[in-house]
Amino acid sequence: MTDALALAPVETVRPKYIGKPVQRLEDPRLLAGAGRYTADIQLDRMLHLAFVRADQAHAEIRAIDTNAAAAMPGVVAVLTAADFADVADLVATSRMQTYNATHCPLLARDRVRYVGEAVAIVVAADRYRAEDAAAAIAVDYAPLAAAIDPAAALAPGAPQLHPEVPGNLVLEREFRTGDAAAAIAEAAHVVEGTFRLARKSPLAIETRAYVADYDRGRDAITLFSSTQIPGVVRDALASLLHLPGNRLRVVAPDVGGGFGGKGSLYVEEVIVAALARRLERPVKYVGDRLEDLTSTSQGFDEVVEARLGLDAEGRFVALEAEVIGDIGAYSIYPWTAALEPVQVVSFLPGPYRIAAYRGRVRAATTPKPPTGPYRGVGRPMAVFALERLVDMAAVRLGLPPDEIRRRNLVRPEDFPFRIGSGIRWDRSGFLECLDAASVAADLTEFRRRQAEARAAGRWLGIGFASYAELTGIGSRIAVAPGMPINTGSETATIRIDATGAVTATFAMASHGQSLETTLAQIVAEELGVRPQDVAVVQGDTDAAAHGTGTYASRSAVIGGGAAIRATRTLLGKVKAAAALLFDVDPAEVETGDGVIFVPGTNHRIDFADLARAVYSDMAALPHDARATLEAQESFDPRLGTTTSATHLAEVEIDAETLAIRLTRFFVAEDCGRMINPLVVDGQVHGGVVQGIGVALLEELQFDETGQILSASLADYLIPTAAEVPSLGVAHLETELPANPGGFRGMGEGGTIGAPAAIANAVSDAVAHLGVGVATLPITPSKLARLLADNEKE
Amino acid sequence: MKPAAFEYVRPTTLAEALAALDHDDAKLLAGGQSLVPMMNFRLVQPERIVDINHVAELRGIVEDGDAVRIGALTRHAEAARDPLLARMLPVVAEAMANVAHVAIRNRGTIGGSLCHADPSAEWPLLTVLLDASIDIASAAGRRSEPGDGFFIAPLVTALEDGEIVVAVRVPRPAPGTGMAFLEVAQRAGDFAAAAAGATVRLDGDRIVEARLALGGVADAPMRLAAIEAALAGADRRDIADAVADAAADLEPNDDMHASADYRRRLIPVLARRALERAAERSSTLAMVK
Ligand SMILES: Cc1cc2nc3c(=O)[nH]c(=O)nc-3n(C[C@H](O)[C@H](O)[C@H](O)COP(=O)(O)OP(=O)(O)OC[C@H]3O[C@@H](n4cnc5c(N)ncnc54)[C@H](O)[C@@H]3O)c2cc1C
Repeated sequence: MTDALALAPVETVRPKYIGKPVQRLEDPRLLAGAGRYTADIQLDRMLHLAFVRADQAHAEIRAIDTNAAAAMPGVVAVLTAADFADVADLVATSRMQTYNATHCPLLARDRVRYVGEAVAIVVAADRYRAEDAAAAIAVDYAPLAAAIDPAAALAPGAPQLHPEVPGNLVLEREFRTGDAAAAIAEAAHVVEGTFRLARKSPLAIETRAYVADYDRGRDAITLFSSTQIPGVVRDALASLLHLPGNRLRVVAPDVGGGFGGKGSLYVEEVIVAALARRLERPVKYVGDRLEDLTSTSQGFDEVVEARLGLDAEGRFVALEAEVIGDIGAYSIYPWTAALEPVQVVSFLPGPYRIAAYRGRVRAATTPKPPTGPYRGVGRPMAVFALERLVDMAAVRLGLPPDEIRRRNLVRPEDFPFRIGSGIRWDRSGFLECLDAASVAADLTEFRRRQAEARAAGRWLGIGFASYAELTGIGSRIAVAPGMPINTGSETATIRIDATGAVTATFAMASHGQSLETTLAQIVAEELGVRPQDVAVVQGDTDAAAHGTGTYASRSAVIGGGAAIRATRTLLGKVKAAAALLFDVDPAEVETGDGVIFVPGTNHRIDFADLARAVYSDMAALPHDARATLEAQESFDPRLGTTTSATHLAEVEIDAETLAIRLTRFFVAEDCGRMINPLVVDGQVHGGVVQGIGVALLEELQFDETGQILSASLADYLIPTAAEVPSLGVAHLETELPANPGGFRGMGEGGTIGAPAAIANAVSDAVAHLGVGVATLPITPSKLARLLADNEKE
Repeated sequence: MKPAAFEYVRPTTLAEALAALDHDDAKLLAGGQSLVPMMNFRLVQPERIVDINHVAELRGIVEDGDAVRIGALTRHAEAARDPLLARMLPVVAEAMANVAHVAIRNRGTIGGSLCHADPSAEWPLLTVLLDASIDIASAAGRRSEPGDGFFIAPLVTALEDGEIVVAVRVPRPAPGTGMAFLEVAQRAGDFAAAAAGATVRLDGDRIVEARLALGGVADAPMRLAAIEAALAGADRRDIADAVADAAADLEPNDDMHASADYRRRLIPVLARRALERAAERSSTLAMVK
């Protein structure tokens, strides 16, 4: 009795961690320089690679002279395509019938198809010597005709880039609901335009890097890769190198950003793995920025010709679009080239009620670097085109920009709502986000400021962009249309070891998403421990039977769902074991803050005590109750869940210099239940900053021969802190989606809405001059051109 | 992106540096902010690098008779916070705020900037605007080159093989001179699409003397003598008219970030703003007196 009185009162309410601004658990490591990135890995007897890359866009390789290079000091091997005859080409297949796959060799065989394509390799004692020797390799090219522009590539008689892709047409797809052409012909108002998003680089701070280690005794390869998709890489390597998965391990250590650019399989990682085994030595390749800008997958590059029909009250009646996507030289593995351009037409109708829709996309192969996933995939382009049309319609009808959206957004009572391309929106705060943005905008006051500033030579503009996206996509929907790989499930394994420590293992691969924190919060809350007590293991194919990685705003929804399920199963085992120790019913046992207890009693042990009882103490529990404290559960949401937002931008343009300054940015978003508001803010901020780059700065430019003109960060401009205003974010939680955590994915939204909102703001600022933005990025120099062309007319 | 192999020499005196430079293919290394990227791209592959960072004779900002002498190794950041320059040539700090970013300003030097001769760079424009001269040393002795003769073309200067820039000498401006520098760049810290520097000395509203220099609009920074002449004796309110056609005879570059037409649009705007700001400052100086 006295004992019981001496104990502190037992808590009955378990601390909640989901929804709390828990400081990032990975930060002490990463911010103090104690992270371990692929480039940090040093292995004994390691060799270094340098690539010779094509300096012509489309040419036949007549000869490669490697003799001088091979004789240089420190050079171990010089290799060309012939040395990889035993490794198959990368071929991204699809169930889409109108799709033609390309064959991407590890090294260009007899033709090069873009500036930057790998042609030869030097393996040397260090990267300096490897580059010295690479410079001594002479490639004799015979230039081939090329259609650089995608429309020209699709024209009859255009030079062919791949024998297996007739007419350079990689795919064609059309979505149709109702008779859009007829509805537009009868519409009271029609607005139309041709919109273009320039080609963009994902541009992670860490360039792509790969290190392969070979274990000669086991004939096993470990590949350290700066990848978002270790599981996909492992599975592909297994078939390319004919090794079983238990002798092929792919590890994504700390990864310094991806944004989609590290979300595909690259020839370099296959080469590094193959060479380590062939040379029986560790092999390292760290791409430099020039290689990053020319050989990492690129984003966007579509032209959208679209028309929106409205009735007299400003309600949308029909939408029609013709899209041409420039997918570059190869259809990327595993997503295929359908990923980006098809998403443009799938998402074009956006969060609106539009009865009739027709959207057709054609994707052309051209001699430029391959495009691939990029934060937002397809939707930044779709939202930019549609939201510009919406603002053009508002101007035409004399409606405020928020009002025209209010009249057309899918209303709460309309959910679930199927748009013209077939995508189904579940309940999300479409109108609620618009209303929040509209309050923040205070249009009446803004119009007053705008008039005042205009008189003083400063053009102010305001822009809205509303959008919806599908996140946490389950196995019934392919992330990329027709792609034969399941990306819809995740498995979590949660384990309490003999010391009582908790380890949660996933097949995902955080590269900036804070998964070590958010997944720990989930497990901590469900199990009753503190987040800092949960070690999250991820990015290692040896730790999970199957998994793909982190992309497409999936990890919180699917991985978080699996974490909840697995932790609940584990908690059942914890309670069962503790109940035996306490001699109570399992339902009476509670956990919290690392303590296992029965409320109102002095039954109270910690997880280490329980682990000792289960694993080490042979007397505490009956033999048949000593089950391992481990649980594994999977989660597949089947469908996806809808995340929505409205973005609001204000710009100020100097009427004389045309300098464009973003003065304000506000986001109202509904991502369901937040796991960690700091992390949500961080993801929104980062996404918006990339959207600012899309809108105002970033453009990969190529000349008429396919030479890249923006191959360094002096010419490829990205936003810096100086170009970013303070960002306001309002989180709205309407109805929670029907998944275990009530989470919606939100890793990409910032980049989806920002370009359109900024384009609308710039257009609003110069509306009185009769011009509007149809191409992004819009720069002062391009704005000068628009104004001059308009004056000429 | 690794440089080709080179020999590295680190002299501690000017004489040693000149001796080390007596080589077929040697390059001086100052802040390295322009040279090292070019070496990493292998655009230049010098056999010998002569690192002058430890040559004390190249440092220091001092008054020297009717001029201020700025040592070639002065970092952009040092110049920006130097009290003597702040008093005599406040336009230097104003211009330095536009040079690249903090880390680069902490390393990059005035000597390196002048010798790199980027047509958009701030130091060359200031040199031309302020009638500065450049002190040069070689094994044969010393010479001085006026700023406007030094910059020949992008990355090309009047410097001969074996010569080292030792310092820049800027004459003390007449009392009451207002100065201004401004530029337009796509992002903070980028090389300017166009830049303008001006000095104006007023007597009441009458302009006694005006100087105007532009950067980024030709192969080298330039003075606009005709406008300066037109402004001498004019009323300060005539500035806008005087610069309205400033772009007429210019053929600015066309590049990825700024078209020639856009630059042409910027020229009169920047010229007017720089001159008006300088005039305003001159009038403030008169009031303070
Ligand atoms: C991202 C970035 C942005 C930049 N933006 C700007 C900008 O906006 N404005 C601007 O003006 N500059 C800018 N710069 C350039 C920067 O200011 C450099 O510091 C400057 O151009 C060169 O100075 P340095 O001391 O680094 O010279 P280094 O790179 O060391 O040398 C440059 C050249 O000058 C020669 N040299 C150096 N010192 C001497 C000397 N005393 N005598 C003779 N020859 C010499 C070298 O041999 C070499 O050829 C930028 C640089 C970077 C990397």
